[in-house]
Amino acid sequence: MREAAVASEPNPLQRIPGVAIVLALLIALFSAIAPGFLSVANLSNVLVQSTILTMLALPMTLIIMTEGLDLSMGAVLTLTSLCVAIVSLATHSMLLGLGAGLLVGAAFGFMNGWLVANVGIPPFVATLGTLGMAQGLSLIVSDGQSVVGIPHSVRDIYSATLLGVPVPIVMALVTYAAFHGLLYHTRFGTYIFALGGNREALRYAGLSPNRLLIAVYAIGGAMAGIAGLLMTARMNSGHPTAGLGLEFDAIAAVAVGGTSFERGNGWLLGTLLGVLSVGVLRNGLNLISMPSSVQVASVGVLVIVALFLDGLRSRA
Amino acid sequence: MTDISKEAMMPPRSFLSQDAIQLFHRLLAALLICAVLAMLSDSFLSLGNILNVLRQASLTFFIASGLTLVVLTAGLDLSVGANVALSACIAGTVIHKTGSPALGILTGLACGGIVGLLNGVMVTALRIPSFIATYGMLWVLNGLTYWYMAGETLHGFPAGFRQIGSGYLFGLPIPVYLLLVFLGIGTLFAQRTIWGQEIYAIGANPVAARLSGIPVARRLLLVYAVSGTMAGLASIIFLSRLNSAEADIGESLTLPAIAAVLIGGTSLFGGVGTVFGTFIGALILTLVLNGMNLLSVSANWQPLVTGIIVILAVWLDMKTRRRAQ
Amino acid sequence: MKQTMGYLALPLVMAAAFTTQARADGETIAVFTKNQTNPFFQTVRVGADNMAKTLNAKTLQYIPTKPDSIPEQLSQIEDVVVKKPSAIVFTPVDYKAMVPGVEKINEAKIPVVNITDRSAGGKFLSFVGADDYSLGLETARFLLKTLGGKGNIVIIEGVKGSLTNVDRVRGFNDALKENSGAKLLASQPGNYQRLQALQVMENLMQSNAQIDGVLAANDAMAVGAIEALDGANRKAQVIGINGTKEAIDAIKSGKLLASGDYNGFAQGCLGTMMAIRSLRNQPVIAEIVLKPTVITKDNYQPFDVPLEQRTCPTFEDASKLGAK
Repeated sequence: MREAAVASEPNPLQRIPGVAIVLALLIALFSAIAPGFLSVANLSNVLVQSTILTMLALPMTLIIMTEGLDLSMGAVLTLTSLCVAIVSLATHSMLLGLGAGLLVGAAFGFMNGWLVANVGIPPFVATLGTLGMAQGLSLIVSDGQSVVGIPHSVRDIYSATLLGVPVPIVMALVTYAAFHGLLYHTRFGTYIFALGGNREALRYAGLSPNRLLIAVYAIGGAMAGIAGLLMTARMNSGHPTAGLGLEFDAIAAVAVGGTSFERGNGWLLGTLLGVLSVGVLRNGLNLISMPSSVQVASVGVLVIVALFLDGLRSRA
Repeated sequence: MTDISKEAMMPPRSFLSQDAIQLFHRLLAALLICAVLAMLSDSFLSLGNILNVLRQASLTFFIASGLTLVVLTAGLDLSVGANVALSACIAGTVIHKTGSPALGILTGLACGGIVGLLNGVMVTALRIPSFIATYGMLWVLNGLTYWYMAGETLHGFPAGFRQIGSGYLFGLPIPVYLLLVFLGIGTLFAQRTIWGQEIYAIGANPVAARLSGIPVARRLLLVYAVSGTMAGLASIIFLSRLNSAEADIGESLTLPAIAAVLIGGTSLFGGVGTVFGTFIGALILTLVLNGMNLLSVSANWQPLVTGIIVILAVWLDMKTRRRAQ
Repeated sequence: MKQTMGYLALPLVMAAAFTTQARADGETIAVFTKNQTNPFFQTVRVGADNMAKTLNAKTLQYIPTKPDSIPEQLSQIEDVVVKKPSAIVFTPVDYKAMVPGVEKINEAKIPVVNITDRSAGGKFLSFVGADDYSLGLETARFLLKTLGGKGNIVIIEGVKGSLTNVDRVRGFNDALKENSGAKLLASQPGNYQRLQALQVMENLMQSNAQIDGVLAANDAMAVGAIEALDGANRKAQVIGINGTKEAIDAIKSGKLLASGDYNGFAQGCLGTMMAIRSLRNQPVIAEIVLKPTVITKDNYQPFDVPLEQRTCPTFEDASKLGAK
């Protein structure tokens, strides 16, 4: 989406502080006033709680870098989470469940990419449509009911630890490393930057921007599939509304992290910090028992303040 | 650059006639849905049901018409639903406290307008992308409404006030008159006034618009304030139609309003679209839900059908647009 | 209703004030409810606060910022387990999906009372709730009795898959089966939302010339349906469930026939009472299922009292109200 108010292009070094300052301030504040905030158990909580959003926000960063958007991610996650539950229930196999989730997620991602790249429907509209489709399919396959009784192997994904580190955190770290490698150290990553900033150059280089776009959206869908597995494991069940609305949290995290909506400026680490800021804020407010209505508003304030800080720096 | 700016400033006649073709296609789509529904359900074509559909479409249209202007400038307002909720709750309280519907209506409109203006300030002065600024605003408004209402419901308003939403005049529901009035005003404003043309120009090319002397920031403020005020109007209609309000009424309103704008052929990239198209978009969405109710379709299928219709409508739009070019 | 402080301006600065409050004397009871928007849960929270005050304990309210959000309530449980309140009074946003959360509370050895929706798993020291099925059944029976056991009926359902909705609608349907003269015209979803119920009702009136009775799965939808009927100048008997303030007002004015009393206030009171009693090593009642009460124009008076002025039932009342 292009904005009417054109901002000057920020350089990455100027951008770092925006979200980092916010996160540092939040951590300092809650360390001081929230008893138990700095305990290992609590910090581990914050990280584990942030993993599902991380898995959505990282591919969302890539999609936004291509001047795109994926509104269907939360609904697709819901659908894949149900697929994981249903298939693992029927086959008693976590891996088959994950496979089904990945397949359905990637299929939706592929459809998004195809609608955006080949049919030429604006990303916002295409993914708004697939949001409805995924939400409808979730209701249809589950008949609006929770899916329970899934094998323990699924649930263990969420509660198990690897060398003392909870598995979801390991998965998120591996995902981050993979995305970092992909974006900054492969040709594909360079092409993604070009997709947002300079599509013509890709064509001159003999590459098909359409196929690259489809790949980016398909990665997003597949990640929603993996996040779906985590969601199912977390609830030990599948539920037809579990992930609705998460796409906006992911988009907010990307924006708070300093990725620009205007032209191929992505910053993966910023996205991670953005996810953590939201996680720390919610956790800290829970620990100090802030009234819930204030919690609702403070998420909005966080988003606005972080972007305002970025705006200040980019103008300075 | 100068070519673009000229084109953006003064849309040539062919641009409008192409729009007319688009609208024609969309009307056809709406009629097609009507024909299918009429075949499937006897009661669909009754006068009562047609008025019913128009009245239901009016609420979506009020929100979506203001939103259309925002989208024409290549922006977006995600806070409209939350704005409706807050405005309705505040307007409702004022009517309860003062007993004056007029004061309540003014408060509702003002509350909506102020929220819209704040959105405009964030987009222009603070340079926050509209998508994010209004998303943040959505949470702030929800928080305010939850706190203000504290889980209570406002209900029971004077009979006169309730006429606005549920009354009839010469056999037509009053919201339908309001719909026609605002459809007329919106269309005239966008197509026939300089400000309207400037809004198209800003959406088509903000840099060119600025260079050609359009006060971009002021027009953007206006557009967001109008969008907020229309949300305020929707809150009044809601209040008087349902005779009550609570904190969560806005949640289910935002995405349908955006969908109505997009189905109506307004482009998210700005500069292209009409208020009339948005009306057709709202109509199509309402027809689909009305048809599903009349045919007793299970709720499970409703989001799927709506999703497919959004994609099909925009695809059709793009296809005809391309052919026209 | 409205607190006077403008917390919103400076949420983070205000934080310190709330922490000191939470550390004061007496037990701390963490109360979990589903959302901030449904008046029913407000009655639960007021009941819990009321009882805690009476027993000289404190409550901390945990409500998801997104209504009924499963991931958010799971996160809140994890956060609260770190904070270690004395006990927890728990309404699951989904009775199946929240089981892993309950097991986390169990692992942390925090005593927990289940209220409103019965959790599908986990260990609770007590359950306090209303029986949705018999509420639906009794309220629908009352409507059918008023109609003389016959007539055209429509059902407006709540959120698909929610426990309350499944049981209430099952109760409605069983009451219809008892009356062979009654005909079910349609059963359509209003998702517990006023506007959706109003529009569904408007649409159903188009395809059905005669509707005699409306069974709505909650009060907001019942009142929405009444507005639709009024708008079309048509008459039908309407019932809702929950016994909210607006339902009582509508019963008083003769617009609503009846509302099933879900009694959130008593649920909040008794849930908190059981939690505190167990902390003080007093006997608790393992299961209280409140008997269904149908509120009508003949018996609404005791319900027509502002929440703040109601008094919680005593332990002795609890057994009368529905201990098993």
